[in-house]
Amino acid sequence: MPEINWLAIFPELTLALGAAAVLLVEVQWKPRASTLGWLAGWIVLLAAVFTVFQWVWAGDQLAAESTGRLVTFSGMFLVDGMAVYGRLALLGILGLGLAGAHGLYEALGRRAAEAIAITLLAAAGFSIMLSSNNLVLTFLGLEVGSIALYVLAGLTRERKGSDEAALKYFLLGSFASAMFVYGAALLYAGTGQFEILAIRDHLAAVIVARPAVIFIGLGLMLVGLGFKVSAAPFHTWAPDVYQGAPAGIVGYMAAIAKIGGFITLARIFVTGVIEYHATWAPVMAAIAALSMLIGSVVALVQTDVRRMLAYSGIAHAGFAMTGIIGGEIEGVLFYVVAYAVQLIGGFAVITAVSGPEGSASDLSEYRGLWRRNPGLAAGFALLLFGMAGIPLTSGFIAKFGVFSDVWATQPWLVILGVLTSVVTLAFYLRITVIMYMEGEEGDPIPARASTRWVVWIAVGLTILWGVIPGTLLSFVADAFAL
Amino acid sequence: MVEAVLFVLMAVAALTGAVTVVLARNPIYSAIGLLGTLFSVAVIYVVHLAHLVAAVQVIVYAGAVLTLFLFVIMLIGVDKSERRIETLPSQRIGVGAIAILLIAGVVAITVFGNFEWVPAAASVIDLDATNGTVAAVAEPMFTDWVLAFEATALLLTIGAAGAVALAHYRRRN
Repeated sequence: MPEINWLAIFPELTLALGAAAVLLVEVQWKPRASTLGWLAGWIVLLAAVFTVFQWVWAGDQLAAESTGRLVTFSGMFLVDGMAVYGRLALLGILGLGLAGAHGLYEALGRRAAEAIAITLLAAAGFSIMLSSNNLVLTFLGLEVGSIALYVLAGLTRERKGSDEAALKYFLLGSFASAMFVYGAALLYAGTGQFEILAIRDHLAAVIVARPAVIFIGLGLMLVGLGFKVSAAPFHTWAPDVYQGAPAGIVGYMAAIAKIGGFITLARIFVTGVIEYHATWAPVMAAIAALSMLIGSVVALVQTDVRRMLAYSGIAHAGFAMTGIIGGEIEGVLFYVVAYAVQLIGGFAVITAVSGPEGSASDLSEYRGLWRRNPGLAAGFALLLFGMAGIPLTSGFIAKFGVFSDVWATQPWLVILGVLTSVVTLAFYLRITVIMYMEGEEGDPIPARASTRWVVWIAVGLTILWGVIPGTLLSFVADAFAL
Repeated sequence: MVEAVLFVLMAVAALTGAVTVVLARNPIYSAIGLLGTLFSVAVIYVVHLAHLVAAVQVIVYAGAVLTLFLFVIMLIGVDKSERRIETLPSQRIGVGAIAILLIAGVVAITVFGNFEWVPAAASVIDLDATNGTVAAVAEPMFTDWVLAFEATALLLTIGAAGAVALAHYRRRN
């Protein structure tokens, strides 16, 4: 029998059982969508309590050992700082996502239960993915998370855009998943190990005479994960999916895929195959540079806010990847969480303006937003400044963190990053100008209480982490002292 | 000796089935030909003590997938005459070229590659080997790999809930 540490999988177990509970409650009592949403919220809170407990408990456990990691389920599953930090981030985003999708769930009527259950399972999948020590389990977590996201993209299938987005995401996404699993198989062929820590030990101990198989495997895995985080040139799905999927859920979809993808990328490349750092770093640098360029330049000509945010997301994938290239993890951990919060807040504003089910959000809809709903306009502007990386927002600290990681080794990437940041500022400012300086009086745009909460929590965190970055940085630092 | 005889019988059956799939005019015959191929290959798996793979082959492919095929064929209608105009021009030539390339590759490797073919039927099968039996696969699956096994359960849940979420919408309007 394998040694089983139940506490290690409590958060995922809670989410999975919670999803089942939501479905069963729907069958038995048929409550309103917001009741189910509250149930899901309590489930998320319970999972978060377990995760915080893991943080404390793992700290005590690991103080005695020197490995810095707790490996359980026969080497399948990890409880280490990165995993617990990632889980907490996913659960936080899940809570915000459930609140932000409130309007969508109500509009879905009786299908809300399935939608809420799948929302929970998506987070469970990415949580498994980033805590996995075994490439097979990593792949399964990736699939659980991704397939849930394909369904979420198609929730409002009666609208053409949503149907198209779901199908496109599904076809391209399954192709990328196949790439990942092929890469994992080749890495296994080259090293004889499925476990990431075992691969690291193997590569440290043995000089592989012909590492070509390993390199091809790593390349394929990079393609698979690059797709998930929408890094160029694997980004083509992102604008269509961000635009077509129901507005209420897009922020959540994009945010958890980025968190899961980047932490897994860091785990495999920085923890697993750091021995080949000199080989994979230039490839990743090229992908990061391309993402920054394509994302920032193409975003300039978009006329739809969601497409614009999709391209800015591609640029942000490039910025975040810069943090991994240095072989460090702290920068990218801070970056993805700060960006995910801004993203989900920004899409909450779009939900309020374009409606939770909508499949388009033209720039013209945002004209004079500050007269029609001053709170939303101010929140959106602050979040956009955060994404641009203006000082005193978390975006600035995050960019500073990832760029300082690579300044010593790849200064050209930092210069490119700063230049493209300036370009991104142009279109963030453009939205702000449209909101504040154009348009006349229009009908006021009401925003639900849940949407306002999401926006203001996101704005609050963005400013808090920008002014006192220690509030998040100390967590990141603690994550590695665990 | 038994292995060799079984192999030859089953290989001939599998190839016959495969040829039927391609050549039969009636799609039902094609489906039945595929069934023959799948069964013959399953018998070869049993000979090599891969019991689980053989069972999965029969249950999943010969059982579920083929039933689905037949269902679809019946649904479309067996009697409906098929248009035999090729939509992709010169695809036969293309496929032929790829086939010839593949065969040439195999011949080249056989002739120029310095290794020996060891036909499985000729080698002695270790009857005590248990690495492919159901028990041998089940034990690690439910001990060391139990977490991965449970993760696939999540996939099934998403599949069921997702199908409802995606397919239920027409009733609304």
